[in-house]
Amino acid sequence: MLALHPQPISPEVVAVLLAAPTAVACGFPSPAQDYYDGPIDLTSMLVEDQAATFIVRAAGHSMTGAGISDGDELLVDRSKRPRHGDIIVAIIDGELTVKRLALTADGVVLRSENSEHPDIVVAELSDLQVWGVATYCLHHLR
Amino acid sequence: MVVAASREAKAIGLDLGKPWFELRPHAQRLGVAAVSSNYELYGDMSRRVMEVLERFTHELDVYSIDEAFLTVDRRAATDAAAMTRLGREIKNTLRRLLGVPVCVWIAPNRTLAKLANRTAKKLPVFDGVCVWTATRPEWRQQLMEALPVSEVWGIASRLERRLLGYGVRSIWDLATAEPVQVRKWFNVVVMRTALELRGVAAIGPEEDRTGRKDQLIVSRSFSEKVTTRAGIRQALSVYAQRAASRLVRHGQVAKTLTTFAGTSHWTEQMHHPSATVRLPFPTADPVELTRAAHLLLPQIEEGIRYARAGIMLTDLMQAGAQLPLEPFRHRHEDAGISTLIDSVQKMAGRESLALGYAGLRPGPSWQMKRELLTPRATTHWSELTTVKA
Repeated sequence: MLALHPQPISPEVVAVLLAAPTAVACGFPSPAQDYYDGPIDLTSMLVEDQAATFIVRAAGHSMTGAGISDGDELLVDRSKRPRHGDIIVAIIDGELTVKRLALTADGVVLRSENSEHPDIVVAELSDLQVWGVATYCLHHLR
Repeated sequence: MVVAASREAKAIGLDLGKPWFELRPHAQRLGVAAVSSNYELYGDMSRRVMEVLERFTHELDVYSIDEAFLTVDRRAATDAAAMTRLGREIKNTLRRLLGVPVCVWIAPNRTLAKLANRTAKKLPVFDGVCVWTATRPEWRQQLMEALPVSEVWGIASRLERRLLGYGVRSIWDLATAEPVQVRKWFNVVVMRTALELRGVAAIGPEEDRTGRKDQLIVSRSFSEKVTTRAGIRQALSVYAQRAASRLVRHGQVAKTLTTFAGTSHWTEQMHHPSATVRLPFPTADPVELTRAAHLLLPQIEEGIRYARAGIMLTDLMQAGAQLPLEPFRHRHEDAGISTLIDSVQKMAGRESLALGYAGLRPGPSWQMKRELLTPRATTHWSELTTVKA
């Protein structure tokens, strides 16, 4: 019966779960205490090279197929070497532009992830100016 | 006014110090625009550069917003080819990771490194990397003979006139002068400078030889690692007060403060927090500067072994240049507003309330400045660079 009627977790329970188990009521010390290293630090989880990582904001709809919507923030790591299939920020006509990098038999293609937007073909690899490799997208859900 | 000029800028005639009203009529033809100094961005990019530089050395001495000294292992330093490779790697890494062009000068001591910087910078053959000991001795002699002694770091023009009296005209003259004689003529500092020109390391890193007027840094490596927030707080307080007294000595006030701490690059838990604060008003007040320096503290993590901390003041100006703001400030200070602001900031975050908004009435000149301000793209969430998607 319990399984069929799960109790919603009350806010107090959540608070207890999130708080550091420092106060111990009885004589038995919390076994979790020694393992608590502080809250999760998003920066250290998401950013490998802090000096070389920049946050930029996407403007436009050409990459919606890759999960990047207008107004989403991107973490761009300039220390990463761009590989085939990476989402990169490239400098195109003097503008920072986010596209998917495709190394094809016909040359370098910067693909849009939206059928209404054209791909960009780069004649020579040496003509391609990669500003950085996008590692995460902070997609806004509300 | 042109406050700094790249090679490209100089090529189209944008000379240092040229006022904007002279350039304005030609702006469109030259393809130039005027923007305000963006010290938040400069401070953050400087911090990133220093963080990358730390990966190349055990001992980094941040000298100013755009200069740092790296100590290279003595044995490795004798290998000129290896030093050239190191210089290139530093230059290329900064270009790749941050897009920042730098020049690297490697020499037996700081006096020679600075000399290489001033001279080789203009010679495209070096392409931004010069290893002093890898150059031909004859070239070095020619260079030192051709340059006036005032080109040496720490030799002021006042000193130059006296040196001329003793027949010391070129750098080469000073380098070859009898050291004991130089000490008798002047003092031990000039003698040590002369020794450094010969390739001896004679002047310690702590000695301030510059008198740069546009910025001020107080930063030290700790003799013992600091692992507590209280410890960092204490260090920053000391540095802020030291910076304040230096400002007062030079009759200056600061508008922007960068506060930073860092672990050694060689530890497991690296951490390089920093915060750049646009001060509510130009100030040399130790209380204000200390408070601003402490804005770093929420980022300091207990238990991490910090190897250094410091503060950097930029956007310096002569005290009294913005006098109208002073009355506002004192009225608020007397009313205990600053304490109130402090506690509000503690509760609601440091951007919730600031003295500047209470005291600054946006006059026309202030609004114009905002208009010319480029985005603070690396420190302000609302001003991030946009990329076309």
